[in-house]
This record gives sequence, structure tokens and C-alpha cells, in this order.
Amino acid sequence: MEKRERGGKPAPSQAPQQSPVTARKERRPSMFEKEAYAQILKERLRESFHDVQYVEPPFDDSIVDIGKEWKSALAKLKFANSYRMEPLKKFQAHSVETKVQQILKESLKDVKYDDKVFSHLSLELADRILLAVKEFGFHRYKFIIKVLFIQKTGQAINIASRWIWDVAWDSWVEAKHETESYVALALVFALYCE
Amino acid sequence: RWHPIGILVQDPVGFNADEAHNIVKECVDGVLGGEDCNQNNINQWTAGIVEEFLTYLVKLVKAYKYIVTGAVIQRSAYGFHTASSWFWDSTSDGTCTVRWENRTMNCIVNVFAIAVVL
Repeated sequence: MEKRERGGKPAPSQAPQQSPVTARKERRPSMFEKEAYAQILKERLRESFHDVQYVEPPFDDSIVDIGKEWKSALAKLKFANSYRMEPLKKFQAHSVETKVQQILKESLKDVKYDDKVFSHLSLELADRILLAVKEFGFHRYKFIIKVLFIQKTGQAINIASRWIWDVAWDSWVEAKHETESYVALALVFALYCE
Repeated sequence: RWHPIGILVQDPVGFNADEAHNIVKECVDGVLGGEDCNQNNINQWTAGIVEEFLTYLVKLVKAYKYIVTGAVIQRSAYGFHTASSWFWDSTSDGTCTVRWENRTMNCIVNVFAIAVVL
């Protein structure tokens, strides 16, 4: 966002809508100054707002320490070299896709769109899909599941994903379930961990 | 701390809020800032935002694999739910979700970082 520097005079009042997030080094020009009014209005119209929704792991010191203790204990045990460079069972996208599609279809068979139900249905579905994918038995793989529900009200939505990973072993799967009132999208990412 | 091969490997600490805000300001504001929702451009914008995010993360030069997912939605009266679950090493892997909005659009970007054990 553009900020204009006030020359010399301290601005008597600051614009009321201060975003707590961005650190402002320069004070915004006052609403009462004529030249600045047009600029502030323009800024307000394009005003955008952002915030950090969720971060994991949380920044408590206690949790960090636990991880480090465990890890240093693990380092002292020397594991024999397994000489395994590749996964025993490579992630098979097609079988996982059919399974995820089946889960979506079963759980969303006659479910109508409803705010409260969907907020914990999405969590439940994500957990269920994670369990199902783990059951496949792809060893040494880490999984990330994303479930999205979008209500169909005539608005446009674009979803994009990009990644950096090992192309030989890592892959992803997508399953969509569409009904009259909403669309459910499930994304499964599988990453090989050495 | 230095790894024997000579590559700087930082201890995975996860994202802190300031870093996330910086990334969002550069990437999302750069692409969508001041723009109104436009059917012609929305495809490019979504792809652009996600790619910018990824290039920013890569420039940090940490030993991580990244997955960035972005959704750009036109603002209207609609419902949107999203949930994620994961199976990873919670001591070394992390995620961050950022929500950005302006007058005509909502944008949600989710970053997952999985540590690569060198």
C-alpha cells in the first residue's frame, strides 16, 4: 500500500481504520486536509486486509524443547544403515483416487449444504481420508489432506497449487464431488521421507 | 549450524507471523492489490500468487519441500469451508494459512513445509 510522507507538520488525527498488522513508519495524512482527502479515499477503496489464520507448530517455547530433547535422544541411538534409497511401495495415485472418491460419495450422499454441519464435517472427512490413505501401507510417506467445500451461489472461484518436491516419488491425488448446492474437493499430497 | 557437506542447514523453526505477513504483502498485494475481480485475469492471478509464494520460499534456502495451495474467490454471499489433516513429523514440519481480502475478492493461501533430512 502506498504511503505519502508528510513534510514537517505532524498530522493531527490518524485515519481510524488502522490495520494492526502492518507496522506504519509514516503517519497517514489527515482526512481534514483537502489534498490528502482524495488520496485517502482512493486508498480506502483499494484497501485490502490480510491476517494470518493458522500456524502450526505454535510458537510456545515448551513445545520446541520437547521436540529437541526427543530428537537428541534419538541421535544417540545409532541406526544401522538400511541402504534404502527408494520406497518399497511407490505411491499409487489411481488406487488412492478411487478410494478417496468413494469416501466422498458415501459421506456426502444426501447431505445438503448447512453451515454448522459442514464446519465439522470437513474436519471429520479430512481425518477419515487420512486414515484411509494410511491404511494403504505406503511406508515412509508423509501425507497432507485438504478438504474444501464451496457453496454454489454463482460466484467464481479459482484454486491453484504449486509445489517443490521430489518428482520421482512424490505425487498428489484429487477427488471432486459435486451436488446441486455445493462442490466438495479433496486433495491428497504424498511425500516420501527418507 | 553447518552440515558437513558445507550447506547451511537451519534448524526447522516453522513460520513466524512477521515472516508470513511479509510474504503476503509482497506476493499477494503485488498481484491482487488494488484490482477488482475480473473473469479474464483471475486464472493468471491465482497461478501468479501461488508461484510467487513458492519462489519466495525457495529463496529462503532452507531444507524443505513446499506445497502451496491458493484459492481466489469472488466476494459475494457464499459459504466456504476448508479443512486439512496431515501425517508428518510435528517437530520438523509445519504449515501456515493466510487470508487476504479486499473489496471484491477473498484469497486464502496455505503453505506446507516438510523437512528434508539431509
